[in-house]
Amino acid sequence: MRSSPFTRAGLGAVFAVYALLLGLPLAALLLRLPPAAVLRALADPMVLEALRLSLLTALAATVAIAAIGTPMALLLATREFAGKRVVEVLIDLPIVLPPTVAGTALLLAFGRAGLVGGWLAEAGIALPFTTAAVILAQVFVAAPFYVNAARAGFESVETRYLEAAATLRASPARTFLTVVLPLSLPSLLAGTAMSAARALGEFGATIVFAGNFPGVTQTMPLAVYVALHADLEAAVALSILLLAVSLALLAALRLAQRRGR
Amino acid sequence: MYRSLVALLLTLSATSAHAGEVRVFAAASLARPFQGIELGAEHELRFNFAGSQQLALQLSQGAKADVFASADERWMDDVRDRDLVAGEPRAFARNRMIVVVPAANPGRIESLADLARTGVKLVLAADEVPAGRYSREVLRRLSGDAALGADFDRRVLANVVSNEENVTAVVTRVQLGEADAGMVYASDVAPALRERVRVLEIPAGVNVEARYFVAVLAGAPNPSGARAVVDWLLSPAGQKLLVDAGFSPAP
Repeated sequence: MRSSPFTRAGLGAVFAVYALLLGLPLAALLLRLPPAAVLRALADPMVLEALRLSLLTALAATVAIAAIGTPMALLLATREFAGKRVVEVLIDLPIVLPPTVAGTALLLAFGRAGLVGGWLAEAGIALPFTTAAVILAQVFVAAPFYVNAARAGFESVETRYLEAAATLRASPARTFLTVVLPLSLPSLLAGTAMSAARALGEFGATIVFAGNFPGVTQTMPLAVYVALHADLEAAVALSILLLAVSLALLAALRLAQRRGR
Repeated sequence: MYRSLVALLLTLSATSAHAGEVRVFAAASLARPFQGIELGAEHELRFNFAGSQQLALQLSQGAKADVFASADERWMDDVRDRDLVAGEPRAFARNRMIVVVPAANPGRIESLADLARTGVKLVLAADEVPAGRYSREVLRRLSGDAALGADFDRRVLANVVSNEENVTAVVTRVQLGEADAGMVYASDVAPALRERVRVLEIPAGVNVEARYFVAVLAGAPNPSGARAVVDWLLSPAGQKLLVDAGFSPAP
């Protein structure tokens, strides 16, 4: 750190820019309503319904992402194969894709008139306008954050530990569970929290693909948007609540990472 | 480098409109006909199309504009009550609600009564949006029809699978075949759409009459341009354009 190029004035400027850019809008949100008004808005059944749905779908999406993302991350960390670069780009794509584009793509694929949606409909499965569609949209946009973090975690496990496990004749599965997984746990947790936070904040893909119905597809970000049309105070209260949940998630992650070390 | 960066930021944040520019904030349902407004070369029109309530919010938060065209009286009143309107708002067009179903008609909707059948996927505009309020009002009035039954609106509303944040999203859902039916303005079925959707008319006796209001905004950077837009909309040429787009003429 001693060789850091920052002068004291430079540091001050960096902090000032960030305070303006990030701190000011957040402060404006918090200062807009007295705490009592926030609490009153939170007693609204619509708010509670949206909060419950948001937590439920983000949890389901995070579990699904861990289930499909862990093998993919391990594959990318440990194997070389033809087309690996293409796979990497495709996995990263949802990070830069506008979420409404993601929603449109999901609709054209899984919608009733979509590419495979027609077959799904014949099998009695209809995704649009369901909670499953909300989860699918969240998995689509949030998965890259987990895969990238998990991959970095797996890659950081030093080969000498793997060699030691091999000399002890541990099976690959056992090596993964008792050596690789514990050593990369901080990265996995970081990825989990980032993707959960992204899933929680998902808006564009959800409203396009899943629609907007209270209790079924209306998550917190959608409720904020709808409330913005009718009642600015309710929208602000909802935003503050969403902000608190996201902050709690990121704080829990920091805590878990510290414990893990 | 810093200097050029600052210059760039200043350019990007500059809001001063150049002379002749008329900024029109208009309801989403007006997007198609308003592209056809002809004012002559001295006026350059810039549009911001969104839900009326969203535009009202933007204006109340200090957005600079010359003209506000609302899809109903409520949001025009909202803006006027904040002293943001110069002079009296004028009603310049009317609209009515219709039911649209996809051309393939997956929900087998042949009449209004079918909307209440269990399992139909209906999409409406959200209650906060004018089109959403009109849709619910029409359903309530239809419940007065003995043939449909007093609980008609309740049964139909139980079929709603999504409340869209603006009326054009309802058209999209139906056009894509994702919804079995939707309620939209008559003017929403553009000529290009007539092959993709089927229209069920709602009897005039129970239909609502949506009135579109337009006003010059207080503090308009270009008040003469704004007045030109309002006058043109009420002129025979403007009224013809609106009627061709499916609206009814000014009351």
